[in-house]
Amino acid sequence: MAAGGMGGKTYSFKVVLLGEGCVGKTSLVLRYCENKFNDKHITTLQASFLTKKLNITGKRVNLAIWDTAGQERFHALGPIYYRDSNGAILVYDVTDEDSFQKVKNWVKELRKMLGNEICLCIVGNKIDLDKDRHVSVEEAESYAESVGAKHYHTSAKLNKGIEELFLDLCKRMMETAQAEERLKGNGASQSASSRRGVQIVDDELQATPAGGCCSSG
Amino acid sequence: MVAVEVERMLRLAEQCLERAKSFIGKNTDPPLPPSSTPVHTGHKASSPTKTGHRRVLSDGGGELSPFLPPEVFQRLQTVEAQNTSKKELTPIEQASRLNQKLKANYEARLARLTPGQACQKTSLTLSLQRQMMENLIIAKARQEALQRKMEERRLRLQEEANRRFAASGGMTAEEQEQRTLYASVLEYEQDHVQTQRKPIRTVSTSSQSFSTYSSLSSLVSHNLHTKHNNEEGEEPHPLVTVDRENSFEDLEQFLTQLDWASAHDSTDDTISNSELPCDPLILDEGHIQELEMRVLKEHLKAIVKDIHIAIDQLLSLCLLSFECLNTASSKDLCLSSIEEAFFTPLWHALLALFRYCSPSLQGSYPYESAVQELKLLVTDYCPQKKLECLVRTLRLICACAEDCRCLHEVDATPRTSAIGADDLLPILSFVALQCQCPQLISECAALEEFIHEGYLIGEEGYCLTSMQSALAYVESLHTGEAQLPADTST
Repeated sequence: MAAGGMGGKTYSFKVVLLGEGCVGKTSLVLRYCENKFNDKHITTLQASFLTKKLNITGKRVNLAIWDTAGQERFHALGPIYYRDSNGAILVYDVTDEDSFQKVKNWVKELRKMLGNEICLCIVGNKIDLDKDRHVSVEEAESYAESVGAKHYHTSAKLNKGIEELFLDLCKRMMETAQAEERLKGNGASQSASSRRGVQIVDDELQATPAGGCCSSG
Repeated sequence: MVAVEVERMLRLAEQCLERAKSFIGKNTDPPLPPSSTPVHTGHKASSPTKTGHRRVLSDGGGELSPFLPPEVFQRLQTVEAQNTSKKELTPIEQASRLNQKLKANYEARLARLTPGQACQKTSLTLSLQRQMMENLIIAKARQEALQRKMEERRLRLQEEANRRFAASGGMTAEEQEQRTLYASVLEYEQDHVQTQRKPIRTVSTSSQSFSTYSSLSSLVSHNLHTKHNNEEGEEPHPLVTVDRENSFEDLEQFLTQLDWASAHDSTDDTISNSELPCDPLILDEGHIQELEMRVLKEHLKAIVKDIHIAIDQLLSLCLLSFECLNTASSKDLCLSSIEEAFFTPLWHALLALFRYCSPSLQGSYPYESAVQELKLLVTDYCPQKKLECLVRTLRLICACAEDCRCLHEVDATPRTSAIGADDLLPILSFVALQCQCPQLISECAALEEFIHEGYLIGEEGYCLTSMQSALAYVESLHTGEAQLPADTST
């Protein structure tokens, strides 16, 4: 996974999927990975762990999508899943008020543990069931804005909004990574012993702003 | 035809008596008289299994099977049947008791005689011998008369039964059996006029369920034997304990059993015949297991069919004997009492067979292949290999779940039921528990330190994280709250 050659580098991003059980995170990610390519891109771990290769404005991106268990009793295990993540997709069911509440809890937790460098996407899934909607669009969008997250509406069933969601997330993660690089200066080409997935061509990790999660081994 | 029947029955009765003598022998009083209930073909059919069964027991290294061998089972049933009816001595037995008393008297008197009265002693001895002889002759005559009478009665009842069944022209073996049973019910009724429903339960159920039991018990005890070996997995290498040299022998035995069973049930036995001529060296362990499973399933099917037929027969017999019971509610009553008597001795064995044949994934419990894989984790000493082992474990879980899904759903797209983390984590917790490796926690902690950076966000990292989560979850079941296995604030 070494950095690419002249044209640019290969970014490797870890994206964690959070959300209550039954909100459809598994279907969402399966739909995404299945649609563009075909079944062979689903690893043998089925929907728990998926990878996807993208090419965005000439830059290669490898996405590793980590599913998490949504059941309440596994909630305490969240941190070991989302540490070192570059992005998080927080899924709720538009027909289920509770699941939106869960998303709010996740946002708080993520911001607290990982700071601002993680790109958050709040996703209202199942918009095909719009007539049973219990979470209003305005409320969800204003909340997302207030916490620096982006809001999306998707339907895994109808395959709506999913491609855009991931593409958008990738772009934002690239921006974040690039900003990080710039901040650290671009002189040194020696790779740090970073435990982050992003290829950072610097060794001054301490300069990271609000970097709560970068472990240096 | 009747003469042949009688002769066969007498021969069987003789065999029974001899066996009973050799078993009960010294400690009990006079050997059991031959059972008055007709012994059915099931008994004859059971003879090939008996030897097989013995061998299974000896294979087990002296371990007792929880299931009684068929012979013991039948003896128990016979004894039970006799206890419920009033026990009567045959004339010969009465005579021999009388003679014993006479002899005791004679000995007592002899002891009182003074040495000088030798001639009196001789006369006493002679008169005793004469008396005893007379008693025996009389008893013999009475016995013969009685037997003739019994035979006559049996014939008469048989006639009655024949008349009863006369309407349905040709005779199948089934009908014949039904007829014999009916005759014995009539006989029993004459002996015990006061009891009503009981005769059926004692007379027919014992004989019917015996044939089923004998086929079932040999099967089940064999299964338990092999299964026991499989499950003795406290030591680190449980796989080795399966006796390899025996398994082919067992298979052979199975196939002979199948041959017998299918001859008995007249179901097809194409599998066994086509498989037998194979060179034994070609068959590997897995193949043998697969064969065993197939044969077992065939057996289960045949046994279930047998039971259904037996119960149907019993019910129709019951209704035949007591026509007043032929209403919906009494039928239920009949059925329940038949089932109670029929299933009670069979259920344990039946259940064991069902459990063995249940469509579990692979092996005897779910996700066994994943557990076996995970057990190998501690045998490697290289982090890279350990991680690969973890990945294989998780993949196997997904594969097992997929297999299971295919079993239960006819059509399913991979999308709707692919394994996500919601399912994976609970299953992984189960697998971790089944694995019984307490050092897994420290293994994972060490792996976390030495995992190559490049793998951290890949499949390996995901598997490691999931494993740690599962272990943390299992741990949390003790304390009530999940503890994080590793600090995230570094």
